[in-house]
Amino acid sequence: MKRWVLAMLRLSVFMAAGAGWLAAPARADGDARASIVDRLCTRETEARIAAVDELLAGVARKEIAADWGAAIIGAAGDASLKCGEGGVRVIAKSGRFRDPLTLADVSESSAKLAAPFVNLRVRAAYEMAGGLLLLITAPASPLAAKAADDLQKHAGIANLDALQMAVEAQPSPDLAGRLQAIAAFRALRHPDLERRIAAIGKLADDPTERNRTALLDLQGDKTAAGDPKVAAALAASIASIDRWLQFSRLMATVYSGLSYASILFMAALGLAVIFGLMGVINLAQGELIMVGAYTTYLVQEAIRAAAPGILDLYLLIAIPIAFCVTALVGVLMEITVIRHLYRRPLMTLLATWAISLLLINLVRVFFGTQNLEFVTPAFLSGGERIVGDFIVTYNRLFAIVFALGILIAALIILRRTKLGLFIRAVTENRDMAGCVGVSARRVDVLSFGIGSGLAGLAGLALSPIYTVNPNMGTNFIVDAFMIVVLGGVGSLIGTLIASVNIGMINVIIEPAYGAVAAKVIVLLLIIIFIQFRPEGLFAPKGRR
Amino acid sequence: MNRRKFLKATAALGGALAMPSLIKSAQAADSVKLGCLFSSSGTMANIEGRLSAVVKMAADELNAKGGVLGKKVDVLVTDPASDWPLYAQLGRQLLQQEKAAALFGCWTSVSRKSVLPVVEQSNGLLFYPLHFEGEENSKNVVYMNSPPASSVLPALEYLMSKDGGEAKRFYMLGSDYVWPRTINKICKGFWKSKGFAETAWKEEYVPFGFSNFQTIVNNIRKFAAEPGGQPIIVLTVVGSSIPDFFKEIINQGIKATDIPVLGLDVLEADLEGLDTAPMVGHLNCWAYLQNVEAPANAAFKTNWANYVTKNSLPYKKDTIIDPMVSAYDGVHMWALACEKAKSTEVDAVRAAFDGVSFDCPSGYKISMSGENNYVKRGVFIGSVNDQQAFDILWKSEDTPKPVPFSPYA
Amino acid sequence: MTAILESISREIQGKGGPARRGLAAERLAGMLVVAALAILVAGTQGLMSPYVVNLIGQVATFGMLAIALDLIWGYAGILSLGHGLYFAIGGYLIAMHLVKVAYLQTGTPPDFMLFMGWDSLPFYYAGLENFPYALALIVLISGGVAFLFGLISFRSRVSGVYFSIITQALVFVAMLLFFRNDTGFGGNNGMTGFTTLLGWPIAAPETIAALSAASVLAAAASLYVCARIVRSRLGHMLVAIREDESRLRFLGFETLWIKIAAWVISAVIAAIAGMLYVPQVGIINPRVLSPELSIEIAVWVAIGGRGTLVGAFAGAILISTLKVVLTASAPELWPFILSLLVIFVVVLLPNGLLDAPAALRGWLEWRRQRAAS
Repeated sequence: MKRWVLAMLRLSVFMAAGAGWLAAPARADGDARASIVDRLCTRETEARIAAVDELLAGVARKEIAADWGAAIIGAAGDASLKCGEGGVRVIAKSGRFRDPLTLADVSESSAKLAAPFVNLRVRAAYEMAGGLLLLITAPASPLAAKAADDLQKHAGIANLDALQMAVEAQPSPDLAGRLQAIAAFRALRHPDLERRIAAIGKLADDPTERNRTALLDLQGDKTAAGDPKVAAALAASIASIDRWLQFSRLMATVYSGLSYASILFMAALGLAVIFGLMGVINLAQGELIMVGAYTTYLVQEAIRAAAPGILDLYLLIAIPIAFCVTALVGVLMEITVIRHLYRRPLMTLLATWAISLLLINLVRVFFGTQNLEFVTPAFLSGGERIVGDFIVTYNRLFAIVFALGILIAALIILRRTKLGLFIRAVTENRDMAGCVGVSARRVDVLSFGIGSGLAGLAGLALSPIYTVNPNMGTNFIVDAFMIVVLGGVGSLIGTLIASVNIGMINVIIEPAYGAVAAKVIVLLLIIIFIQFRPEGLFAPKGRR
Repeated sequence: MNRRKFLKATAALGGALAMPSLIKSAQAADSVKLGCLFSSSGTMANIEGRLSAVVKMAADELNAKGGVLGKKVDVLVTDPASDWPLYAQLGRQLLQQEKAAALFGCWTSVSRKSVLPVVEQSNGLLFYPLHFEGEENSKNVVYMNSPPASSVLPALEYLMSKDGGEAKRFYMLGSDYVWPRTINKICKGFWKSKGFAETAWKEEYVPFGFSNFQTIVNNIRKFAAEPGGQPIIVLTVVGSSIPDFFKEIINQGIKATDIPVLGLDVLEADLEGLDTAPMVGHLNCWAYLQNVEAPANAAFKTNWANYVTKNSLPYKKDTIIDPMVSAYDGVHMWALACEKAKSTEVDAVRAAFDGVSFDCPSGYKISMSGENNYVKRGVFIGSVNDQQAFDILWKSEDTPKPVPFSPYA
Repeated sequence: MTAILESISREIQGKGGPARRGLAAERLAGMLVVAALAILVAGTQGLMSPYVVNLIGQVATFGMLAIALDLIWGYAGILSLGHGLYFAIGGYLIAMHLVKVAYLQTGTPPDFMLFMGWDSLPFYYAGLENFPYALALIVLISGGVAFLFGLISFRSRVSGVYFSIITQALVFVAMLLFFRNDTGFGGNNGMTGFTTLLGWPIAAPETIAALSAASVLAAAASLYVCARIVRSRLGHMLVAIREDESRLRFLGFETLWIKIAAWVISAVIAAIAGMLYVPQVGIINPRVLSPELSIEIAVWVAIGGRGTLVGAFAGAILISTLKVVLTASAPELWPFILSLLVIFVVVLLPNGLLDAPAALRGWLEWRRQRAAS
């Protein structure tokens, strides 16, 4: 909302200069403005909704300046339009005070001011009007697509004249089409048969569940759908929507599966490196993920303090730092504890469990137990509707891309570097590698560090998706182990394939039987699978 | 906890271990003990842990005024670590070994159910600060918060009213345990009584700590787009699932104006890690909201902020949640009843509850009757604002009479 | 550092193998029998507070659990990270028995029936009000599940950490299932509200004393049984499996049935421990199935000293008593103490606290030798 208003304000400068037809009537609408603001200041739902409608009608008739409308609706929506006794009205936002009628700066008012409470119905009207006015004042803005999506949800209450204006102002044919579909939504029961059929066809262009429902609703209405031509158009449109919806559902399932797989993969990758190389079961893996997330948080806070201008980039800046910090924690673990336990793998399990308990409680003592607050960078918030009801959410897309990036980086390290060569050598045959001069001790420390660092990166990538608190790591540990065991110890590709499979199976089962059953079934499948292939999908070639 | 406090605690532990007795015995003879059963570790730690601090703060207030019946009030803090049987164990220890005059504790229903047999067997007194599913009335538990009939149903009625968007279809999403199941059962009974068909709602339960809501939110969007009228989500997931759920609906572009969420366990503290601008308008209902304008609330907020600063606690100074206030009320109402009974014996205190009243930070004068062990509280419906708190959308006229057993269950 | 460790382990292996430990365990079992009688007297005569009596009983069941794990981990080298499953089988079945009895007596249905809207208990509660039947079921089901799981896993030669991970996954699956309310085990709330056990009011000091004494007796019995096993041929075979299973198979021994036998016995002991634990704590819920609890069992064994029975028992007693005391008196510090203790023991005392004196002697010896050379 804040971003909206800022963008609108900035754009309104252009608009005032470029579009004279908007500025001209602005002088004549003073009374209308006062009346609208007065009503927006009441507590009455109906009065406020009527005021919004009147504003939009005025804009459509070009009697009220659209940029003023956008500003006042934005202010009413985010409760910065304050009203007081005796007709005092001020827009108060981040220390700046403006007159709601002229938008000119004024001095701070001494009157007792309060913003009228915005209930859900009024809020819907404000969102609808805000979307329309943005599309009218700044049709080419990057926010226009988002506004159109919001508007679609309020198709039932949209002001049709203003909507028509927005359609005409829209330069992008795609967006204009979507706006027309919104208009069509309202024209489904239009008395004119042709317009009704056109509307039915138009709705099929945007194959959403909501539109399908509207069409089915119309189909059930014998008076509106009695005409054979209408009925035929309806049947064709519904069939087309059904096809697209099926496709969009498939896409959504695949996307959910991939996103879950990417989370599993990141959680398991570090474990796969450590387990594969040293046979060490690191039960503190989840806590290393947590350390990565907390490091990311610290980076964010440092940037907020030092250079707030680049705050949105903190996730990228944190990548090397999260990796190094967690790698360091891992190296410390290795040197102080795990080094002494290589001959006793079952004991490392207990030792790492104790370390995980220690890490959780250290973090709890120094940071508290509350959930950490992460700024969601603009490029990670929200999502893009691709087709039908299929939304690609940016934070999960980030996780998928990030997981791929980590995979490639890990593959390069393992396949293309000297260290990777050593690691593979030690994994395959520790003693022989020692004979040809590879220091297994050094390789152990380094690869434990790398495995831990990878977990730290997972923590970074998960921070926009999951809640970050000291206990977050415990959720991953069973899943991560199952992935590693299923994939085959020490095989990155095996880990990848296992994650994708488990992610996909999970999301396929989940809608039908629920999340718990999905998890139970998947775990049982893995347990059974292990009985047949104890070494996992990709058995390591080395001797052990 | 800062370093100094950590060192101090370490030293204290050394002392505790060196002592032959189980618990620090160096307490003044004329003191009375209160026990706390709130987890400061495990899944519930995020929200539950701070309640121990509130009880201590309230006890400090009592001590500053000369204690209760002239005795100093000592607070024994334990950590049941979100482990339900450990609540019972520690409760037994506090009552039977420490002879605590009253217990303050439990968040989840299961922890209360776990302690219940213990307090009943040893005739203790447990002050329970959460709103819950009702359907229970033990003489050994003081229910500080409201049963569903007084809080949840008004919120539903609001959402079904014209201004609330005329909700006609309901997606119930909850954690799989007694509170969500009972609440949903009551809701279903309520809707049935309003003439809704069974097809108007859908119920889904997720395990504790569930976080991957992508598929469920996809399903909710599908449900919402189906015919039948305005949908709402009745959210009874608890703990870390709450912020995870909200993150997902924000990302999938669901706003309060499309599908409002009535988050029955959503508190100011759950919003701490979230950018609440895209969730403005979602609802909750409690017997206290941080934004209440009342002198008692202003005082409570200042006291808490000072207390957090003074003891350098790892909590936000300006986040206050209903159970904190309920626990605080509990300590004071216990003290008032003790003064009235001129004794800290459980039976005498219980008999004295009838007619005890207290100026709650919520702005209502809360009170108890002899009829049951429920406290009469005012009720609020809150609406999320963009400052990680709730605006007050509706408040009850007075303090409605608590109805422990819902007619809809 | 490594040198120290090696000398320590030499020291330990030098003196007394499983046989000596077995004898120590039998002596301890005898002492426990006496203790059980003392508790019975003290508890019923009011010489000891019911709280302490009850606590002793609970801790004794943890001791049993540790003995059960030590039999397979300490002797056969099979680490189960899912022994909570068998503990829970015993616990849930006895809880079902108690719930059924309470329901029949009072007519008040258990909570989960109310909020699930059920009119009657699910079919698998049938007959459970009969105590001998419940007891038989506990042995049969825990043994049966263990047999099946052991048969499948040991046949496909899943071993080492893989086996541990699978047991952990299995207990996790069980936890997810038991958390569900529609499975009829009370979901997350589990079961509580017990009234009488074998006709005795469950909160009466006499019942508490009897249960506590029974737990200590059961611990003594399992110590004795396990001690006899490890000194028998089966015990020697188990140790041989731990040391080198392939060689044993190569020499013509069928290791499968030996492992399964130990595994099933261990599971049944764990189930009986669960059966005794639940009436004493008054509640069971899926938390006993959480992987953390199962890891904790392994921690008890490791801290006390695995492969000694006595050590495992002592570890369980020590840690669970410390937990009860410290979660109340120093809740902030308990996790730090536990984790540091585990790290300390695991790194420096590979055979647990019980061998601390031996390790100390070994270290002194090593220093003397170094000084001499």
